[in-house]
Amino acid sequence: MSSLNESNENGQTWWRSLDEVVAGDAFQAQLQDEFPEGSGELLATGDDRRHFLKIMGASMALAGLGVAGCRRWPKENIVPYATRPENTMPGIPEQYASCFDFGGISQGVLVTSNDGRPTKIEGNPEHPDSKGKTDAFTQAAILDLYDPDRSRQVTYDGEKSSLAAFREWVNTYLPKAGKGIAIISEPSSSPTFERLRRAFMKKNPQAMWVEYSPLANTNEQIGLNNAFGGQWIPVYNIAKATSIVSLDADFLGAGPMQVPNTRGWADSRNLDHGNISRVWIAEPGLSVTGAKADERRSMNPAVVAAVANYVAKQIAHTDVAIEGTVALTAEQQAWADKMVADLQHAGKHGLVLAGAGQPASVHYLVARMNEALGVVGTTVAYRSAGSGSSATIEELAAAIQNGSTQGVIIIGGNPAYDAPANLKMLEAIKALPFSMHLSMYEDETSSVCKWHLNAAHWLESWGDGLAADGTVCVGQPLIEPLFGGISSLELLAILAGNPETNGEVLVRATLLGKSADNWNPKWRTAVHDGVVADSAILENPPVNRRVPEGGTVVSGEKFTACFVPSSAVWDGRHANNGWLQELPDTITKLTWDNAALVSPQTAKTLGVKQGDMLAISVGSQSISIAALPVPGTADDVIMLPLGYGRTNAGRVSEGAGTDIYPLRTTATMWSAPATVSVTGDSYPLATTQTHFAVNSTPGKGTQERLPLLFREGTIDQYNADPAFAKHVGHSSHSLSIFEEQQFVGAKYKWGMTIDLSTCTGCNACVAACHAENNIPIVGKDQVLMGREMHWIRIDRYFAFGSDGHGGYDNNDLTAVAIQPMTCQHCENAPCEEVCPVAATVHDSDGLNTMIYNRCVGTRYCSNNCPFKVRRFNYFDYFRRDPLRSTGMLQVQPDYYIKAQSGGKTLRAMQFNPDVTVRMRGVMEKCTYCTQRIQRVKIATKNAWVKKTEAQKQADPRVAIADGAIVTACQQACPADAIVFGDLMDTKSRVTKLHEEKRSYQMLEELNLKSRTKYLARVTNPVDGAAATEGGHH
Amino acid sequence: MASVPAQPFDNTGEDPTARSPLILNHTDFGSVTNDILKGNESAKPPKSWYFALAVSFTMMSMLGAMIGYLIFTGVGVWGNNNPVAWGYPIVNFVFWVGIGHAGTLISAILFLFRQKWRTAINRFAEAMTIFAVICAGTFPGIHIGRVWLAYWLFPIPNQMDMWPQFRSPLLWDVFAVGTYFTVSLLFWYLGMVPDLATMRDRSTTKVKQLAYGIASLGWRGSMRHWHRYERAYLLLAALATPLVLSVHSVVSFDFAVSQLPGWHTTIFPPYFVAGAIFSGFAMVMTLAIPARQLWGLKDFITMRHLDNMCKIVLFTGSIVGYAYSMEFFIAWYSGEIYESFAFINRAFGPYGWAYWIMVSCNVITPQIFWFKKARTNIAIIFTASLLVNVGMWFERFVIVVTSLANDFLPSSWGMYEPTWVDVMTFLGSFGLFMTFFLLFIRFLPVLAIAELKAIMPIADPHGQGHSYEEMSMETDEQAKIAEEDE
Repeated sequence: MSSLNESNENGQTWWRSLDEVVAGDAFQAQLQDEFPEGSGELLATGDDRRHFLKIMGASMALAGLGVAGCRRWPKENIVPYATRPENTMPGIPEQYASCFDFGGISQGVLVTSNDGRPTKIEGNPEHPDSKGKTDAFTQAAILDLYDPDRSRQVTYDGEKSSLAAFREWVNTYLPKAGKGIAIISEPSSSPTFERLRRAFMKKNPQAMWVEYSPLANTNEQIGLNNAFGGQWIPVYNIAKATSIVSLDADFLGAGPMQVPNTRGWADSRNLDHGNISRVWIAEPGLSVTGAKADERRSMNPAVVAAVANYVAKQIAHTDVAIEGTVALTAEQQAWADKMVADLQHAGKHGLVLAGAGQPASVHYLVARMNEALGVVGTTVAYRSAGSGSSATIEELAAAIQNGSTQGVIIIGGNPAYDAPANLKMLEAIKALPFSMHLSMYEDETSSVCKWHLNAAHWLESWGDGLAADGTVCVGQPLIEPLFGGISSLELLAILAGNPETNGEVLVRATLLGKSADNWNPKWRTAVHDGVVADSAILENPPVNRRVPEGGTVVSGEKFTACFVPSSAVWDGRHANNGWLQELPDTITKLTWDNAALVSPQTAKTLGVKQGDMLAISVGSQSISIAALPVPGTADDVIMLPLGYGRTNAGRVSEGAGTDIYPLRTTATMWSAPATVSVTGDSYPLATTQTHFAVNSTPGKGTQERLPLLFREGTIDQYNADPAFAKHVGHSSHSLSIFEEQQFVGAKYKWGMTIDLSTCTGCNACVAACHAENNIPIVGKDQVLMGREMHWIRIDRYFAFGSDGHGGYDNNDLTAVAIQPMTCQHCENAPCEEVCPVAATVHDSDGLNTMIYNRCVGTRYCSNNCPFKVRRFNYFDYFRRDPLRSTGMLQVQPDYYIKAQSGGKTLRAMQFNPDVTVRMRGVMEKCTYCTQRIQRVKIATKNAWVKKTEAQKQADPRVAIADGAIVTACQQACPADAIVFGDLMDTKSRVTKLHEEKRSYQMLEELNLKSRTKYLARVTNPVDGAAATEGGHH
Repeated sequence: MASVPAQPFDNTGEDPTARSPLILNHTDFGSVTNDILKGNESAKPPKSWYFALAVSFTMMSMLGAMIGYLIFTGVGVWGNNNPVAWGYPIVNFVFWVGIGHAGTLISAILFLFRQKWRTAINRFAEAMTIFAVICAGTFPGIHIGRVWLAYWLFPIPNQMDMWPQFRSPLLWDVFAVGTYFTVSLLFWYLGMVPDLATMRDRSTTKVKQLAYGIASLGWRGSMRHWHRYERAYLLLAALATPLVLSVHSVVSFDFAVSQLPGWHTTIFPPYFVAGAIFSGFAMVMTLAIPARQLWGLKDFITMRHLDNMCKIVLFTGSIVGYAYSMEFFIAWYSGEIYESFAFINRAFGPYGWAYWIMVSCNVITPQIFWFKKARTNIAIIFTASLLVNVGMWFERFVIVVTSLANDFLPSSWGMYEPTWVDVMTFLGSFGLFMTFFLLFIRFLPVLAIAELKAIMPIADPHGQGHSYEEMSMETDEQAKIAEEDE
């Protein structure tokens, strides 16, 4: 059981005899890390061999349960198993259910393990939020596991130490200093965590427990506490809503509830239901929800609060005096009136949501409105959630200040980086005599703490949690901790003085009591399923109202800075994840950086263009950040995505973006009055779509062709003519110069549809494709050169109104087009015809295949691809430091795979063994996940061979059941916008969608006969006519 | 040896009663041989030759270094990106192939049309062709992602049982350029055999005797040799003639056969051929003007030759201009938004500057050759020929880059910027070209000596062609005038 941080050439694997292992020096040395609960001492005494065997027995039992018992570094020896572990077939991947916490909501996953290496994460179909789907963060989490920058050891004062030393220290320190101790933890839904927290607090009643997360929706908690009394988490069932009003709530955007919200919303847009929902949104910046909304107005947060008050007055006959709001204009009022009418019309199928940036009083109003509309129970339900906090972070800062707190234990999180700037947590923690941080990275907080404990990834540890509706989830490890490390549960057990510190035992005891053992059938079912069935605890909250006296919404006199989470790195925690850093933001298409997002009008007033530096000051704090004009942003609002500018996050995050947290104080958590000046410097922003001025030739050209490429219509247009999309543009019968592919004898005809109505551009598919297809990241300098490698990308276009002089007005945003684009698998593929070496050809099933071995890299195929979905390996991206612009020596042998990982092939462990890792000089592109198709085809064929002759004759085609093959993008898509299947199967979903009236082919006039069809977007604006979203007033 | 000082003599006039002489100040064969081989036979070439060779060789070495760097590191050292997968290398390829066009045109087509003035320029125009095609051939070779597999583009029987993909224009390119190069090389070499024999006979060192002896294939100048030689030369000329049209037509198919707006146009083959002749003649002039000065060849490459070439440049430049306007017309007439956008974007989009450089160099500049004063002014001719070379490079840049940068889906539009490696590689290819050319003028007969003699009046005792009597009279008169002046 070797780990990365020591050089044990014997490597891991199976112990042939216990004596052999026990006698080894290396084993003795690392025992401390391996069995933190004390077996080290057991062995050191050397006599209690029986006890040791007992522990080993438990480990073996775990292996039998389906946990890979060992770290499996890829080795070059080929040695057969002496005895094959149960249910394991070498080369056949297996899936295990697990879960992890994100923002206090447990995310259910199924993790694919290839010969003991977790390689891919999917949603857990049993999990009520996931239902088999995931967001981009979850898809990318697998890369964190193999991050070579992860912390590999326990340190004290920067020196290497051990967990045993820490335990000893805690045992002596805590009992005498428990009073002056504070614990900072992240919001957690884990029942075990809560149980151990109570145990700890019981032992240390004077300790201060602070739950802090920079993006926690505290305003909502306070608002709901006012409305109902107690701690409540709202759980939305958007599928049942017909009218959804969002007050700056990006419910389709990144966040712990993105998956269920997106699924629900997509369901509410299903045209088969006859009617589709209408989404209203009032927001300062253009969010994903805003892009997909039917009625959108961009406005300062203060105006949003005013809209909330105005609407609440009419719906719930209540309002709250909110300081800082401004009067609505007549136009805004008229718009809000329509909104009210629509909500009232929807009745219990209405839904009002408010964003984290809105004050608590607005959340209170929202709860009142939902109550008044009678939607509780249909579109919204609540779950009671006891908060573990006994104090806020401000109180903690004050306690440190006045000396009553002498030590902090920080379990996860990164308060030194992301706490409100006015609390000066970094300096405060640094000054304390005792501080300890459990973290996967030696980050900003670790750097100022005395103790740093390396945390295990959730894929390496046991855990549990609650889904949004309270369903209990159980998470099992897929691999032993690569670098040692313990989970937060294990740490808390140590702190609480719990005799049992084994994660599995702790979780099992919470779920089934201490008496339950590993063979308990309930336990085995829960671990197998990842969830405990029927454990949801939704309820209608009792009303115990405390009408808030008022509230404040912060906005500036001229400029208002709004702080929003980053769609890539969230609050900064994913900063060292290359897939996420390179994931283009849905709206801005920006990678590797954050930027100050301003409206085109504001940019014009300031005299800046993309990449010009702005100095933004809030109070005495000031930052410099590059400007990025984004249509649809409210004028004079500066949207600032958090989470960038990390200093200690690891090599990937170095130099990525600007830290916004210095501007964020306890009084200005979400928005702040700001002053803005232009510094005159500029900074390159790596966007994956090139920006052209709106009235330049390419800008106009874009607007002119947009209706052809992205076809959309209102629900009225659709009802009048469901095939409206087919009547945009015209295509004549084209003849091919060459003989067309006939697909004679084909058994299958693979095809895909992408529904533009429901795709939100959440990027889950892009991240999933990264993980599935071994796609490299290329680094910022390469993105700047236009060499990103994503096989599937999300195209984003802004449609503008006329400026009255034959041009377009980029302050008048009429629609946002979001269109996933990947290889269309054209039957008359232009790429194939021009390849001189036949490296890209069709197979009989209609796949446009790419033969890497044959490719010499003329790149002609890319030139001739009208969709430009082909990706060329300009370098050996897996052998190159992708993280910084390199000079002459652009390729270092095995940089990414070995050198960066300290000689181990750490990065390679994530690779999907079914997909070739491409070398430089070859072209690549979407394959429709051919490896997944093959897997199912082979299995189906094997089953078919065993059938009787009669059965075989009845199924000469060896038909594959619809839905048996799921592409990676389709599998991740929470909106279910991507459907893949066999077009030869007349009953398959994809065939039906291909025949759907609103389906169309991209660039049909080129006679491509593409296998991917798009379903035109149908919107539901209130006036029924053309979309009337207007961003600017 | 008639060491008559070269003096301005206007042989550019068109006198219907008499043909203008094509060789000045020479009446006998011997002096022609002497003067042409002066540069080859002098013990030391001029200092400027050494200087030029040093510069060219340095640049050629730089090309080698760039290619080495490219192969060791990856195509990513260039500026090519996702929409613009072809950048400088293909621009340079088409540019050099275009330059390589004039040689065979001059030697084959003008030969078949009995354009006697071609004899003064055909040898080095052919040499230029060979060297330009070598430069051109380098680029597609190195621009592919896996250079070591470039041989897969050739139809070589192999254990994989794989043929190349015959529908791909890139494969046609391999055949077209390969054939063109082979035939041009044979044609050049065959034409050079009598002159090599002359050099052999005049060689003073053993090494030279041996080298030229081997190269001249045992030529003795017998009647039978001449008979076979002229037959073969005529046959090769007939073979090469279709190649003149095919090679650049096929190169244009690289673009025309694709379906990219701005590439997919039927006008491309004739337009490319005209453009190639245009750039080829411009390059011949660019080389001829300094060469006739330095190598003392003014009597052979006379103003009349330059005048004729200027006329061809004017003609082909106008064809190119017509093609530019016709592209625009068709783009508008098609009513196809992608097509019309491609051309409007070319002229007024982000690469508009390149387009207008192209138009001013290729269409406007040659129009000056409507005026005889311009056609007979060395400085103007030289400047114009340089501008045409620049313009024709930009034409390829405009075609390759602007079409790719903004094609169908605006989401994938992107700008292309060459890197320093791109620029140095391009400059290095000039080094390669010039090194070959400088070695050529030093070691090989720079003009077709034997052929030149055939168009001299004394070669034509029957008074046909460039009339013996008239010419000898003229030259005699000149000689007298010269004597009187002295």
